[in-house]
Amino acid sequence: MYQNAIELDGISKRFAGHTAVRKLSLTVPRGGIYGLLGPNGAGKSTTIRMILSIILPDEGRVTLFGGEPASRGLSERIGYLPEERGLYPRMLVAEQLTFLGEAKGLPRKRARALSAQWLARLGIADWGNKKVQDLSKGMQQKVQFIGSLLHEPELVLLDEPFSGLDPVNSQVMRDVVVEIARAGRTVLFSTHIMEQAEKMCDRIAIIARGEKVVDGRLADIRSEAGGRHVALSFHRNQEGAARVLADRALVHRVDDYGASAEAELAEGAASDELLRALVNADVGISRFEVVEPSLQSIFIAKVGADAASAPATEDMAHA
Amino acid sequence: MHKIWAVMRREFLEKVRTRAFVIGTVLFPVLMVGLTVLPILLDRRETEPKRVAVVDGASGDVGMKVTEALAASRREGTNGAARYSVVRVPARERVEGVRDSLIAITGVHKDGVEGLDGILVLTDESVDGGRIPYLGVNVGSMADMRKLETELQTTLRQERLRRAGIDVFTGMKASRSVDVVTSKVTAGKLTGESGATSFMLAYVMGFILYFAMLLYGVQVMNSVMEEKTNRIAEVLASSVTPFQMMLGKVVGVGGVGLLQLGIWGSTAMLVTTYRAPLARLFGASPDALTAVKLPSVRPDLLAVFLIYFVLGFLLYAAAYAAVAAMCNSQQEAQQANTPVTLCIVAGFMAMFALLNEPSGSLARTLSMIPILAPFVVPVRYSLAPIPIAELLLSMALTFGGMLLVVWIAGRIYRVGILMYGKRPKLSEIWRWVRS
Repeated sequence: MYQNAIELDGISKRFAGHTAVRKLSLTVPRGGIYGLLGPNGAGKSTTIRMILSIILPDEGRVTLFGGEPASRGLSERIGYLPEERGLYPRMLVAEQLTFLGEAKGLPRKRARALSAQWLARLGIADWGNKKVQDLSKGMQQKVQFIGSLLHEPELVLLDEPFSGLDPVNSQVMRDVVVEIARAGRTVLFSTHIMEQAEKMCDRIAIIARGEKVVDGRLADIRSEAGGRHVALSFHRNQEGAARVLADRALVHRVDDYGASAEAELAEGAASDELLRALVNADVGISRFEVVEPSLQSIFIAKVGADAASAPATEDMAHA
Repeated sequence: MHKIWAVMRREFLEKVRTRAFVIGTVLFPVLMVGLTVLPILLDRRETEPKRVAVVDGASGDVGMKVTEALAASRREGTNGAARYSVVRVPARERVEGVRDSLIAITGVHKDGVEGLDGILVLTDESVDGGRIPYLGVNVGSMADMRKLETELQTTLRQERLRRAGIDVFTGMKASRSVDVVTSKVTAGKLTGESGATSFMLAYVMGFILYFAMLLYGVQVMNSVMEEKTNRIAEVLASSVTPFQMMLGKVVGVGGVGLLQLGIWGSTAMLVTTYRAPLARLFGASPDALTAVKLPSVRPDLLAVFLIYFVLGFLLYAAAYAAVAAMCNSQQEAQQANTPVTLCIVAGFMAMFALLNEPSGSLARTLSMIPILAPFVVPVRYSLAPIPIAELLLSMALTFGGMLLVVWIAGRIYRVGILMYGKRPKLSEIWRWVRS
């Protein structure tokens, strides 16, 4: 059995006028869930497309399944959920899925049987005879999701799989993903929502502007990011709180999320000093906890607040 | 191979299941039967004779004779229904006055009294000069006027002969017109077709080719556009190569085209074979329908037709697929396909250019141009034999041209199908082709 499902070796892709991916090297070990994180336009989708050989890198090498050069010939072992839904609007759901299975090399009968199984499993068995265009966006997403898993691929690439889903459907899909990873298959998914990756991934890579910022085991990245972080919430006297958090003798850096904040303590400052200052400022503390840095905070520290926050908050609104 | 097969089958089945296909397939034969039968039905329904007044200002009994001849005229396909109900109005010296008063009641239907349909004015002058005024409501009907002319011609010719003192029977025999009776010979054998039927065959075939390229080419374009705008292209591109995708489309739609043409063709065959019973079914006389001999389609002609149909379809469908791949919306594609459509129209025009001289140097040159040959060669072949060497050269050139177009289209398709945003410039497309 091979060790690494995906190896990217210094791949670059240029489009007319700009570089989408620059000298990116990553290793995705077999089994488990790998998160590819980055703001919109960071090059996540381009990277995934190069892994699939939908587009070819201008330089560098992509090898899959422990050393096989990437090619469309491997497509039967890979499942792919694109960011934009790609379904024939006028086709029936069951036939659509059968076709997607066939395009991945499944015999027609088997594809039909498997799609019926999956529809039943995701609780939409009676949708098989509906036209795709009559489904809601979330339902279409589920159908597309089934389409990417039908042929039992050993590597599953999901591009922004949870965007636009309600919490219930999102959970259903998350369970499936976790189960696939437990079975020793590899899942790589891209997202710009850090909380999601934090909950699901054992390994991540953060990319921004086409370049890798950091990658590795989530736990390692956290401990490496170091620093002592305090998560806090308060419910009055915003100005007072802002004044305390702006004190560079106490606080090195702060990510203000509005109702809550995450502060990195300045060197030499103790957490109880900060607590005392906040109590004195009378801000109505409801939470004060020394924590490991969150992915969001690591991300902002590495990428810069303007690159990270804007798109993330925008999409979290409908997540 | 299994995957391309799946792509083709999906394309074929989805197209065949659309309402547009079913309606189109059924409507066309219905229309054909309708167009064959409708004129008979309408003609039969119109049993009312035309009311014609003959204003007789001519000397002698010409007026009488014309009136009798018109009154004896019978409608075809009916059991002796009169074509005209004729009244002779003697009008020596007062021709104009009578004529004007009759005009007043022509085409008027009032108080249950029906007016005249037309007035025929006979004077010595008009009888001798052979230009007879007819004033009526139905002067726009070519068929009516031709019938009237035939009746008058016979009657007046006899009258003139008599006036000249020539025996009418001898005179009529002498003045019989001369026709060339044509029979087509192909490869040393009499085909039993006349020139007119072989011309009709060429014309129909040319029209089918033109119509089919345009209809199914645009279907390929729309189908590619659907895949691109719905982002299915991306899902498929992870499984099959863009070239396979394009091939699947083209062959799938091509299969639909052949099926539809096959259904139409066999319906047309059935209708023409059984037109006599069909006519009887509608209560019409079968003679009217069976008078024209239909051309038989020789197997070699059919083979040439099919070969060029397939070559031409592959060429144009690939071109339409490439157009769709570079566009972002249906509207954009509708504009961008103009060059391709113009080529097809040029092919259609080229057929007309060679109808008069199917073996001339123009026809021979046009047969060697791959984008025109699919239209030109089958039509030429149906009209006159083409030397086998010339035919093979034309096929080879067309095949080569088709491969080139498919290759270029494949290159454009490969990049374009995954490209969104503004439409590429020509220079960019050239770069896609070269890369």
